[in-house]
Amino acid sequence: MFLILALSAVSADAAQAVWSGLVIAENVPQPAPIPPELTGLEQTLKDLFGYNQFEVIGQSNKTLKTGDEDWLANSKYFALHVDARGENDSGYSLNLTLYKEKDVLLETDANLSKSSPLVIKGPQVGSGQLLLVLVVKDDELAHRRRHAEPANPITTAWQRLRRAIHNVIP
Amino acid sequence: MKTFEEKWTAWLDGQLSGRELTEFEASLPDLATAEAEKRDAQKLGSFLKEQLTTQALSNEEFFNHQLRERIASDTQDRPRATSTWWTIPRLVWSGATALALFVITTVVLMTQHQPGEQSEYLTQILNTRVDPAANPSATISIFESKTDNKVTVLWTEGLQTLPADYAAK
Repeated sequence: MFLILALSAVSADAAQAVWSGLVIAENVPQPAPIPPELTGLEQTLKDLFGYNQFEVIGQSNKTLKTGDEDWLANSKYFALHVDARGENDSGYSLNLTLYKEKDVLLETDANLSKSSPLVIKGPQVGSGQLLLVLVVKDDELAHRRRHAEPANPITTAWQRLRRAIHNVIP
Repeated sequence: MKTFEEKWTAWLDGQLSGRELTEFEASLPDLATAEAEKRDAQKLGSFLKEQLTTQALSNEEFFNHQLRERIASDTQDRPRATSTWWTIPRLVWSGATALALFVITTVVLMTQHQPGEQSEYLTQILNTRVDPAANPSATISIFESKTDNKVTVLWTEGLQTLPADYAAK
């Protein structure tokens, strides 16, 4: 019983993807609609940076299975290398490196939470601003499966118990 | 003009005197019997006085007794306070102990989670590096957005500005 619960919890956790995007934010007279990947962040991005248009110039949507994958989100001149270094209870441990062609502009280590997107303000590009955005999303197939099959209450309870014990005994 | 009965009563009470007394006693057929009757009447009067006084005392005691019994029965009828562990001092001590535990727990929890510390449910930036040669005046700050989607922001300032061509896809 314990093994089954543990396995089902892991499989539920593993079915997630990290969306990484290189975004150019700028003010234009007639802004294009915000890309669907950024819809949930539109107002936050506008409030934070004061631009009215957000254009994705490079992106990657990586489904994580082991939590140890790495991937690249490219534009013509920039590349964001993401090196996932394991999954923890709240998200993924990531090493991020932003390249401008072959030069490293910025490097950071972060614990990307499943409930908290990460936005990095990059260099000024012309009249706009380069932004790096990382969001943990439910994998689409897993998302569909979860909607088709309601959540197992025992699994949910087990995950909650596991989280509570983890909080008490780190 | 007093009747015989009125004079007789006055004589028994010793309230006749002078010529009236002499005339009344002279009118009695048998003075010795009348004198004996007078003594008996006086004895009876003394006895009644005595008895009435005793009776009055007795009534007082009776009412006192009745009052005591009523008070006693009222006291018995009143629901007796049930014995409980929650006496007032214990309640005070229990309240003080609970308050102390609450304060200790709050302090411990606040010590463990400092206000500036990032929550585990938010993305945490562990460290950040910028090439100091290319960006000598670069500064970095980290904050969380106040909006509902809990965005963690890594804010850089002073990075080298790039030409607009770099915005190409």
